[in-house]
Amino acid sequence: MQPSQHSRKGVQALLSRTSLKLLPACTLLLTLACASIPKTVPDGPLTRTLTDDAGRRVVMPARVDRVISLAPNLTEIVFAVGGGAQLVGRTSYCDYPPEAKSVAAVGDTMHPSLEPIIALKPQVVLISTASQLEVFTQQLQNQNIAAFVTDPHDLEGVFRSIEQVGEILGKKAQAATLVQTLRQRTYAVEQAVKQKQPVRVFYQLSGEPLYTAGRDSFTTDLMRRAGAMSVTADVPGAWPKYSSESALAAKPDAIILATGGSMGSANSTVIEALRQSPAVLQGRVYKINDDHLTRPGPRAVDGLEEMARALHPDAFK
Amino acid sequence: MMNRVTLRKTVISCALLAAALLFAVVFMSLLGSEPLPVRSSLCALASFGSTSCGLTSDQFDILFQIRLPRIVLAAAVGGSLATAGAGYQALLRNPLAEPYLLGISNGAAVGTMIALVFFGANEWTRPLLAFTGALLATLAVYRLARGRAGATPERLILAGVIVTTFLSSVIVFVTTLMDATRIRSFTFWLLGDLSGTSKAMLPVTIIIAIAGALTLTLNARSLNLLMLGERDAFDLGVEVGRVRVVVFLVASLLVGSSVAASGSVGYVGLVVPHLARLSLGSDNRISIPAAALGGAVFVIVADTIARTVIAPRELPVGAITALIGAPLFIYLLKRA
Repeated sequence: MQPSQHSRKGVQALLSRTSLKLLPACTLLLTLACASIPKTVPDGPLTRTLTDDAGRRVVMPARVDRVISLAPNLTEIVFAVGGGAQLVGRTSYCDYPPEAKSVAAVGDTMHPSLEPIIALKPQVVLISTASQLEVFTQQLQNQNIAAFVTDPHDLEGVFRSIEQVGEILGKKAQAATLVQTLRQRTYAVEQAVKQKQPVRVFYQLSGEPLYTAGRDSFTTDLMRRAGAMSVTADVPGAWPKYSSESALAAKPDAIILATGGSMGSANSTVIEALRQSPAVLQGRVYKINDDHLTRPGPRAVDGLEEMARALHPDAFK
Repeated sequence: MMNRVTLRKTVISCALLAAALLFAVVFMSLLGSEPLPVRSSLCALASFGSTSCGLTSDQFDILFQIRLPRIVLAAAVGGSLATAGAGYQALLRNPLAEPYLLGISNGAAVGTMIALVFFGANEWTRPLLAFTGALLATLAVYRLARGRAGATPERLILAGVIVTTFLSSVIVFVTTLMDATRIRSFTFWLLGDLSGTSKAMLPVTIIIAIAGALTLTLNARSLNLLMLGERDAFDLGVEVGRVRVVVFLVASLLVGSSVAASGSVGYVGLVVPHLARLSLGSDNRISIPAAALGGAVFVIVADTIARTVIAPRELPVGAITALIGAPLFIYLLKRA
């Protein structure tokens, strides 16, 4: 603080001698003077700028020890890189790992509540594009809270999210180790299924109404890596509402039901239109934990392994 | 009690509309996200599915297991909503009375959602609670609208707005009781969606639609007299109380069954009866059956657009009925 007071005195002295016209220049000088001060702080620069998945340049403190996550996958990432102690807020959907439940909830992903968020004094709020919160992001920025948006469309994007969160929380090394482990597991799966004929799969995200994974979903990439060919891989959007007659006409050889996680027992049966599909007739309907397939976080690789083992059991003997 | 001219007009217009309905059912079933061979499909349809006429088994299933049930549901929902709209308009003597605008659809939606949240597994509770919700909403609107000076058009619409917004908040509240993964499906369903055709409930929806339209048509003469005013109708021998109860029950049942099957499809009950009255006159003996048939055609066409325009993805049919309905209604208002 000492140097700051010195320079301020100097500026005040300067101000008293100059006319009002020079005020803008002086303000600039003052800003420059202040900006140069942090050099003396041992931790290095006080702020840093990171580019998020929305292409925004997000300015945040160099050391972040209070962060809020507004999506279940981001909460999982925060804990996985060892930043659980820095998490001061989460959504009511964030139920994993179990420790997350002891963190204060600030609404759900679609409707986060601004007041408790501000009261928790976070330095950074982690947002997933799934929450579609342009206005909300702006409100946070007006409160001088950095809003960092993640938007992974494939497994590489998920790894990038992990590295980004690691960097934000000062857990770069842990994040790098985690990503390396996940990459190795991914590589092992890819090697195992490499010689296998890809299975034509229909992914049933929900049955009534029928939703699936489209072109922009990381789940489509997971299926490809698991030795599957999603019949909806080219449908625009991430989670399109899909025509049941197109699902029938695609004649999938296997069906993946996202169920058993947050979904509970919902979506555990194949839609009526697909009851006579090759997949059902051959008994190739697989229930995979929906949290592993819909949350672009560390457990996506669990989902990848589960799908690959279900689709190509003989590749993992 | 119909005179010969009215009878002939009713028969001719209903026959024409029934032909249009048949045409819509057949030709809209040729359209969809998956192309089907036209000639074979027509041949299979003409044989009522007894021969495949060279369709592959998948094509046959698409036509008879997916498209046709959905089109029939669209017809039942459209017929129900248009009939209910015509009934409310006659009873309340207000051309703007419509299940969606009066909040009655919302009442049925709340009922359905409660059934889904608390009795998820039991499909039969949905139309039952939807009917209850529609009936309660109808009573609420009616009681709110009746001041000392009777139910003025302004009061009725105001009552509708209040009931609609109140029930919208209830819907938002009920969605917070649901888990995250189901909310997406519900927002879609709330906008009106016919893709979740349940084979078990389809016959119920159809029977209610037909029975409802017939009941209201049989009460059409009383409704005509009621449109002169309740006191005059009473003097002319109409059992006002009985007719009112019948229309309320039947219209609520129609709205309840269609909302339980497909969510809130808006504007059908407004646009279709208007169109029927403008082209055929305001005699309910003609306009009610005409609205029933016309509503069926309208929703079939709207749903065909919903399932083909961004195929293989789908839009909620309610978005299409509103997109067609709102401008059409403004046009009708300007012309009238």
